[in-house]
Amino acid sequence: MNKNLDMRVNVLPALTYNFLHVNDSKIKEDGIGIELLNTPDAENVPDGVTVTRRVSYKEAGKLFEDNKKRILVDAGVPGVPNGDTSRRDDAQAVRTGMGIDIENLMLENGITTDVFTAEEGVKTKEPIIIRYNLNDGEGSLTSQVIHAKKDSEITIIMDYTSERNASGFHGISTRLLAEEGAKINLIKTQTLGDGFIHFDDIGGACFKKGAINVVSLELGAKKSWTGCYINLCEDETEFISNQGYLVKDTHSLDINYVADQRGKKTNVLMNVKGVLMDKAQKTYRGTLDFKSGSSASVGDEQEDTLLLSPDVINRSMPVILCQEEDVEGRHGATIGQLGEDLLFYINSRGIDEQEAKRLMVRAKLDSVARLIPDPEIAEKVQYYISTIV
Amino acid sequence: MSEDKKAVVDIDRSAYDYKDIENEKDFYRLKEGLTEETVLKVSEEKNDPEWMREFRLKCLKLYNEMEMPDWGPSVEGLDMDKISSYVRHKEDMKGSWEDVPEDIKNTFERLGIPQAERESLAGVGAQYDSELVYHNIKDEVAAQGVIYTDIESALRTEYADMIKSHFMKLLTPTDHKMMALHGAVWSGGSFVYVPKGVKVDIPLQSYFRLNAAGAGQFEHTLIIVDEGADLHFIEGCSAPKYNVANLHSGAVELFVGKNARLRYSTIENWSKNMYNLNSKRAIVEENGVMEWVSGSFGSHTSYLYPMTILKGDHSKMEFTGITFAGKGQNLDTGAKVVHQGVGTTSVINSKSISKDGGIGTYRSSVVIQSTAKKAKASVSCDSLMLDSISRADTIPGMDIRTDDADVGHEAKIGRISDEAVFYLMSRGLSEEDAKAMIVSGFANPVSKELPLEYAVEMNNLIKLEMSGH
Repeated sequence: MNKNLDMRVNVLPALTYNFLHVNDSKIKEDGIGIELLNTPDAENVPDGVTVTRRVSYKEAGKLFEDNKKRILVDAGVPGVPNGDTSRRDDAQAVRTGMGIDIENLMLENGITTDVFTAEEGVKTKEPIIIRYNLNDGEGSLTSQVIHAKKDSEITIIMDYTSERNASGFHGISTRLLAEEGAKINLIKTQTLGDGFIHFDDIGGACFKKGAINVVSLELGAKKSWTGCYINLCEDETEFISNQGYLVKDTHSLDINYVADQRGKKTNVLMNVKGVLMDKAQKTYRGTLDFKSGSSASVGDEQEDTLLLSPDVINRSMPVILCQEEDVEGRHGATIGQLGEDLLFYINSRGIDEQEAKRLMVRAKLDSVARLIPDPEIAEKVQYYISTIV
Repeated sequence: MSEDKKAVVDIDRSAYDYKDIENEKDFYRLKEGLTEETVLKVSEEKNDPEWMREFRLKCLKLYNEMEMPDWGPSVEGLDMDKISSYVRHKEDMKGSWEDVPEDIKNTFERLGIPQAERESLAGVGAQYDSELVYHNIKDEVAAQGVIYTDIESALRTEYADMIKSHFMKLLTPTDHKMMALHGAVWSGGSFVYVPKGVKVDIPLQSYFRLNAAGAGQFEHTLIIVDEGADLHFIEGCSAPKYNVANLHSGAVELFVGKNARLRYSTIENWSKNMYNLNSKRAIVEENGVMEWVSGSFGSHTSYLYPMTILKGDHSKMEFTGITFAGKGQNLDTGAKVVHQGVGTTSVINSKSISKDGGIGTYRSSVVIQSTAKKAKASVSCDSLMLDSISRADTIPGMDIRTDDADVGHEAKIGRISDEAVFYLMSRGLSEEDAKAMIVSGFANPVSKELPLEYAVEMNNLIKLEMSGH
């Protein structure tokens, strides 16, 4: 099918000055060909994990609808930040980073969902791998639900790749539910061709002592959007995210990560490291949202951006929203080029400036790539980075 | 310090809350609402030159066409049909304190303004409702060529062209709806010109008092600090509390010349029925320095983000601010900076305290344009939550368009540590005093930037807020 996309995505949880152009992003693309509507076969599915293939998007979402009250629990004092946008996505049982327009796209186009369920108490060591090897001109729009039942652990790697000079479309929606004491490790690596349009939307919720761990590497594609909204709705839940990105040429990347901290003693760490080259553009939105009742919670958000060209555009919005006294929220951002002292030191060791930059870029992204629990994919990603820089 | 200032030290709000009842005999009040007729009436009252009258009408048209921003606090409680844009005492402005009408004089005496003028200021302007009622500058400062007067008077002097070429050129009526409103009905405020190389050793101060209920204050402050000159300007504001909304939509335009320095300090203590939708902007030339010191304590609702454009190479900006949002307050404050010149530097240091259901939002933008090679920007914002019925939000934005820049940002949100309170209580302090002391320490980076008298006033305001008055 051919689709015209016109969506408002990655809406900031609390709007700010319009002149910064960070309040949201638009996906407006005409004539997008979409042929692949089913998730590719998963490899390495262990015992204790069931895969239910090709469920309708709506049917798969029943898991969240049935738990909507629990996920969106609001036990505290009512209140919203100035410029609040949360009402926009009220219809979503589990909110996603990119928002309701992605959900509507999935529903309107009859996209199927593969549901991965880790049975109670099952902890798998080896990752399940889903490979998207896209050809030039192909379009893919798929969805998954990952459901970790009580005290289980599941690890899934999704690898999206194509030839370097290929064009096409790749859109994906992944919804997560980690029940009591369960843990979901989700790793996404994107090395699509320079003509690809790509979006990756994640939404998840954790029940008591549940944890979600997301590793994401966005390295290819012409235009990319990623969003992740994790709802820590119950006590002692955790969300750890490590993102790496490399944006080059005239490519763009638009990110919206939100940690919605509702339970007590929740823990969030969001790390994002990236490199901008040539005439690349990147917008990063990262929000820690301490809701009323989230006492004894901690949130930490760190952004480290290396700028390698005078023509890049970097926008950053590290937001903390807080309606709870007994919390610790921090964010830090370091944006710029390599420090002169560091360059001088490396030069003094006989390494020229270009090589020094190359080393630093690789070091920055390798620190995220090392978190990929599959040596072959980790190596492939590291090789991809080395060829770019 | 006067008796009344001492009363503030003893945590007494009466100096701020004192109401001078305005009667029709002594006061002229324009009817509520904003129409072409009211704008023309303000213009007539001001005896505007033709260009200014046209400018006001153009601004009114813009105002009617523009929307309020979708990102800030609600202004639903503000109904322009119930706001009078212009209120003035029937007496003209005085150059001598003795000649100021008794009722107004009483109010300012209670606020300690004449005392401050005698002891620590180079000049004072006092605005009461829509007009300056008093303006004075010390002879020795005037002898240096420093001009400190109201804009209306300056428009009839040799500085008329200077004003025309600067007035609302930095803050333009198209910036946002409130600036269009300001352009339409502005009245009062100050014009300061510090000539080349002149350093004014002690500060000038303007004090703004909005006494009338259901009124707006739209003063315009225009300061030009010429090449190599140096000035510290202090702005204070207060109003008694009414049950109807009041509006403050002032504009502050600051032009800092090459190698010049301007420090602009504000202690804002509007009453808690005030909508403080205020705009401030500075442009800084080569090697110039702009310093903002800002304490926001009052108002029902605030939108306040002083902006600095670092136009000249190696120009610098420093913003040090504190906001205390208490019961019923929604204070959305912060700072904006645009780096244009090579080697420009900005430092933003913001503190925010939320208590008793108050909403404190720190909002900022740091823009580094492609021309701003070797720019450095550092932002630090700390928020303190004093209970769990309040809000403290931090919404900073950065837009960087060159690799040759160094930008750092850090923010923290937290509470007063129990250990610190316990320690102070073990030394004999009550819990309330211990918390007040910790909050004063939290605010210390701001208060230490103020002249002593104002730091004392700021600490008193913190005590007032902590005690829930």
